[in-house]
Amino acid sequence: MSLSPRDPLVVGRVVGDVVDPFTRLISLKVTYGQRQVSNGTDLRSSQVLNKPTVEIGGDDLRNFYTLVMVDPDVPSPSNPYLRGYLHWLVTDIPATTGTAFGNELVCYENPCPTSGIHRVALILFRQLGRQTVYAPQWRQRFNTREFAENYNLGLPVAAVYFDCQRENGCGGRRTS
Amino acid sequence: MLSSAKHKINHSAFSVSSLSYPLPQSHSQADNMTQVTMEEVWKEINLASLQHRQLNINHEPMLSNQNPNNSIFKDFLNKPLNQEPPPSASTTLHRSLPPPPETVLSLNPRSINTHFDESARFGCFGKKRGGQDSDESRGDRRHKRMIKNRESAARSRARKQAYTNELELAVSHLQKENARLKRQEEQLKMAEATQHQAKRKLQRSWTAPF
Repeated sequence: MSLSPRDPLVVGRVVGDVVDPFTRLISLKVTYGQRQVSNGTDLRSSQVLNKPTVEIGGDDLRNFYTLVMVDPDVPSPSNPYLRGYLHWLVTDIPATTGTAFGNELVCYENPCPTSGIHRVALILFRQLGRQTVYAPQWRQRFNTREFAENYNLGLPVAAVYFDCQRENGCGGRRTS
Repeated sequence: MLSSAKHKINHSAFSVSSLSYPLPQSHSQADNMTQVTMEEVWKEINLASLQHRQLNINHEPMLSNQNPNNSIFKDFLNKPLNQEPPPSASTTLHRSLPPPPETVLSLNPRSINTHFDESARFGCFGKKRGGQDSDESRGDRRHKRMIKNRESAARSRARKQAYTNELELAVSHLQKENARLKRQEEQLKMAEATQHQAKRKLQRSWTAPF
């Protein structure tokens, strides 16, 4: 069951700007504190200070998954020339478990956008095997597609994104 | 309309290159022109036309001079301000304008400052320009601003639509689950009710053969 054109991931252009169209295969549940993240949820910097709880589905514990958290709208959604800032990278997550059971290759850095409303996407990939994914050298200019290709991750199996803005943001409108 | 523009070119004091071509009309009047026509025209326009427009103050100044080989100026700007979007990005919008003419900048030192500040895009549209090229710059800035605003509006709409769609999906999912659970509850109740009725009669099933 592939993504419909009305799917929030497509409408929000996560499919397009970050990843290619894919089919959802595994459940992905992301929770910041008490708040579960659904596509397009609006969060402020203060609400994403600490890493979220991430639980994934699947059925076979022998399958391992990689979670990528990337912000495609850096430094600003109107001018994303640094497109792709890697906030978090967790690999070797066994199916049915969560990031707590994985290997945090790139530690969680809380999104803190300075201008505009940034999309922050969490993408889940299935690994071919254990310890087959390595961290990139920089967080900046992180190309999710390239990363997936380099480590044979294929298309995503799940994804969710939220909108993040400054604490005292005014909905993306410039004040000056 | 087109011939009158040509007419104005021929009367100019500036020496013109061999090409004479219609100037693009002001943006609001561009409804008559198809998108293809405008792009064709822009490809042909060179520096000479930019100077020409100073004569045609009636026309709203427009961006001209799209040079596909932006190498000269781009390299110059590359380190401090690598911010110009690729031309392909902006042409996806209807009637959108290409990025500011960079060859102009390499040839016309006066406007380097103008466009440099524009390219900086740090919130300052430099309205005080010292009078030079102010008409054109104002038009350019306005157009750039308009494009940026359009893109921003499109993003805002997409954001809103994505959120709405997500909510609709969630509602639909929850309604189905609710219906399923209610059915399940009904079934369990019925099953319990029949069991309860059966239990009411005390029966000796093991001790009494009769």
